[in-house]
Amino acid sequence: MKASYNWLKEFVAFDLPQKELAHVLTMAGFEVEAIEQIDDDTLFDIGITPNRPDCLSIRGIARELSAILEIPFNDIHPEITDPRGTGPKVEIGNSDLCSRYSSRLVTGVQPGPSPDWLSKRLESHGIRSTSNIVDITNYVLLEVGQPLHAFDLDKLSGKKIMVKKAGSTNKFLTIDDVERSLQKDMLLIWDSQKPVAIAGVMGGRNTEVSASTVNILLESAFFKPASVRRTSKSLILSTESSYRFERGVDINAVPLALDRAAQLITEIAGGTVSDMTDNCPGPFMPQRISVTFQKVKSYIGADIDETFIVKALRNLGFEPESTGEGINVTTPSFRNDVNRDVDIMEEIARLYGYDNIPSTLPTMQMSDVSKHRSRSLINTIRNSFTGSGFTEAINYSFMNTEFLDTLQLLSDDSRRKVIYVRNPLRKEEEAMRTTLVPALLNNTILNLNRGERTIRFFEVSKVFLPSEEKLPHEVIQVAALYHKDMDSAVWQDKHDGFYDLKGMLENLFDELKIKDYLFDHKNQPLEPYLHPGKACSVIVSGERIGSLGTLHPGVSDALGIKGNVNLLEVFGLEKLIEAMGLKTVFSPLPKYPYSERDVAVVVVDDVMVSSVRSEMLGVNSDIIESINLFDVYKGKPIPKGKKSLAFSIRFRSTERTLTDVEVDELHSRIIRRLEENLNAELRR
Amino acid sequence: MLNDIESIKSSARTEIDQAQSLKEVQDLKVKYLGKKGILTDKIKSLGSVPPEERPEYGRTLNQTKLLIEELLTGQEEKFKSSELDKSLRKQRIDVSIPGCRLPLGRLHPVTKVLEEIISIFVSLGFSVEEGPEIELDFYNFEALNMPRDHPARDMQDTFYISDDVVLRTHTSPVQVRTMEKKKPPLRVIAPGKVYRCDADVSHIPMFHQLEGFMVDKDIRMSDLKGVLELFVHRVFGPDTSIRLRPSFFPFTEPSAEIDISCVICKGSGCNVCSSTGWIEILGAGMINPRVYEMAGYDPDLYTGFAFGLGIERVAMLKYSINDIRLFMENDKRFLEQF
Repeated sequence: MKASYNWLKEFVAFDLPQKELAHVLTMAGFEVEAIEQIDDDTLFDIGITPNRPDCLSIRGIARELSAILEIPFNDIHPEITDPRGTGPKVEIGNSDLCSRYSSRLVTGVQPGPSPDWLSKRLESHGIRSTSNIVDITNYVLLEVGQPLHAFDLDKLSGKKIMVKKAGSTNKFLTIDDVERSLQKDMLLIWDSQKPVAIAGVMGGRNTEVSASTVNILLESAFFKPASVRRTSKSLILSTESSYRFERGVDINAVPLALDRAAQLITEIAGGTVSDMTDNCPGPFMPQRISVTFQKVKSYIGADIDETFIVKALRNLGFEPESTGEGINVTTPSFRNDVNRDVDIMEEIARLYGYDNIPSTLPTMQMSDVSKHRSRSLINTIRNSFTGSGFTEAINYSFMNTEFLDTLQLLSDDSRRKVIYVRNPLRKEEEAMRTTLVPALLNNTILNLNRGERTIRFFEVSKVFLPSEEKLPHEVIQVAALYHKDMDSAVWQDKHDGFYDLKGMLENLFDELKIKDYLFDHKNQPLEPYLHPGKACSVIVSGERIGSLGTLHPGVSDALGIKGNVNLLEVFGLEKLIEAMGLKTVFSPLPKYPYSERDVAVVVVDDVMVSSVRSEMLGVNSDIIESINLFDVYKGKPIPKGKKSLAFSIRFRSTERTLTDVEVDELHSRIIRRLEENLNAELRR
Repeated sequence: MLNDIESIKSSARTEIDQAQSLKEVQDLKVKYLGKKGILTDKIKSLGSVPPEERPEYGRTLNQTKLLIEELLTGQEEKFKSSELDKSLRKQRIDVSIPGCRLPLGRLHPVTKVLEEIISIFVSLGFSVEEGPEIELDFYNFEALNMPRDHPARDMQDTFYISDDVVLRTHTSPVQVRTMEKKKPPLRVIAPGKVYRCDADVSHIPMFHQLEGFMVDKDIRMSDLKGVLELFVHRVFGPDTSIRLRPSFFPFTEPSAEIDISCVICKGSGCNVCSSTGWIEILGAGMINPRVYEMAGYDPDLYTGFAFGLGIERVAMLKYSINDIRLFMENDKRFLEQF
């Protein structure tokens, strides 16, 4: 709402300079968002909160200023001293939607351009000047906050007004020359035959005031806020008028605004005013709210003086009556936002000044703050990733479903059952994401395009899956992406990035004390967007909880990503929580020394390291402490199709020092098993 | 004869003191104590000394020998350590070569700020609650005193999933959800993602908020001010002041916007604070009794306050970030600064 400094001054004789006035308004809850100088006037752009429709007018803001500054309020008192003829015929069909309809006729007017002062004032407040009569209705809208409408009386069939719903009428041409589609519950203004306005929103082309208009019917009404709002929303048509009606106008100011306009019309455009027709099926019922002084003090936490309380409320237009311990407050018609004691207390606090309220700390009983398990798990995961060199990304919860095609997801993949957003801003926000992968890939593309190398990202966020309930499942997932710069001269480890990510996950499992896990590449389906030879499922306690692998070359080509991209996903945090070891029990440090033996075997390529390990453990001895793979080698002199694996085995007993003889004997048994069961050749 | 020894002693002392290298010290050792050394000769000729003088003479010789040995050893060690030092110095490495660093991962600035704020409130005894991001219209609006057709709904542009399911526009729905399952006293914070159907230079369609609320029998508006002041001092420093301005939220009464003195210009006026010296940082107020009614609390029994804070906004002020869109872009060069 724009408000002129000079116009406000007509109502309240303050002598504050512009900047100070802006500060006073801001600190009373009317935030001055901008100050603009126009000619010899200053315009404040004030943010009026939805609860204060009374301040969507100069008069309303001025009344507030008068209370804050304690300067008398010079209200307007329009008077129609010599009405001629009876008022218009008005019938209210839907009195539930129209609580008051006041109207007068003005006959013999002369439409024409507005005087300078009027058009200037409108334009400085952001309203285009058209002709005197329409300008006056807009002027009163700004001044009093009451929307008015002027009909060309001679175009009204039967020269009467009906207020009722649209019913079966489904089309209506508004003043702005747009044909509007109506719905049956929309409240309209009718003459004896046809609709002439959409109540509270916009008038009709058919009865618009024009240069040839001689007689007018002036409307000032109170329409039910929710009804006007529904209509305006469904027509996608918000006007100065609907904006005020949907927030609620002052029902007792309806006739005042009518008279103010009628008076200005006769002064500027001539004409004679009729009697007023004032239909008021739903008159204002003041509320009485009681509050004790003690409650005010304890709720606000400030020692507010009782006489101040009474005076402040009176200045704001309330009628406080003392009851000794407190007050009974009667609310004015322009304050429909005030319904209970807390509303009264806000008014008191506002005028007392929030700045004058002291700072205190609450006294409260101590209580146990329980540990938030998923939050602490998320923090552990985050620390584990950052400790391994991964940087956290946070992406929008939205996704473009076309990406699911890029990922080659099958048509029955559950990630294709997406929840759509009804009113997305862009294609990118059309649906809630069901996987974290697309966003991480997009992050990678962006960074590679900007010249970055070696990308390690992770994200811990929710995905949204449909459910039988009213609300979808929100599942916290973890995903990580490693784009390894294999050409880099700095990076010494030339192994595939797959193993870096795998090691990262193994560290995380170690940290979470999850022991029962394995990486499976054949018993469970692999992700279609992963390289079929470099992918696996992550199995924890027998259940597939995640996936690990190198991005399928087809997918990276389609996305234009060059190089080695590896992806890790954990599908649900709960799965990890279930598998986490909760208790740490110390195992005593070994008392006896260890013996170590190295062994290198040549096996065919298909033999997996995990098989070799389990074969070794198959000797069933409790003195094998650990088996470490330290070399994987292919190439001369190893024959084609085979590989050399070198292990270091540590033996230790918890009861005694081992002898060379028994260690050698066990070591030979291990080698024999490998030779017999895996067809391994010992490398010497 | 004793004089001879005395002169040997003093010349040995002088020579050893003046030795310039380990080699010279070793030569002196031969000269005095070697097989044909000066002192050795004297010891060998002990037999020719008259028997009555022999004990004293012998003792003096022995003391002199010990003294020379001691002097020699002292000098020897001095030269040895300085020569080791010299050879170690020759192995000097170039300390200006960059260190071999393990890759360093960072937390997203939103996470950093959010966790910092959470820990402040947890240290004040607040517990953390969470709610769904896809929320019922009821919890997001209605239970917070924003019935359908209420103009206050215009304050937040909403993404809809269906007629009665929305992407939550704020973290406030957690207030009602928590009250439905817990009884006062309550000290709760609810961090999380929120959504607004709005995207331009200064708005992104998803951002982070932290809701905080406290409900008990005698919570005052002054307590809200005190708790938020404490919070602001912890995050922005004790010289930052706060200002409460009346405002409107349907679920608080009275409602307030909280400004802090501009952290950039310290109140003298700059772009960030639009020359006002103040920056709006959060919305707050005393919980509206209607919310208690919706949650099944007795509104005559309890009072409390609530506040909502935009995390990106705090991060922008804390790190002087000038574009909110950077948070969701995930450019490494941005993320690696925090």
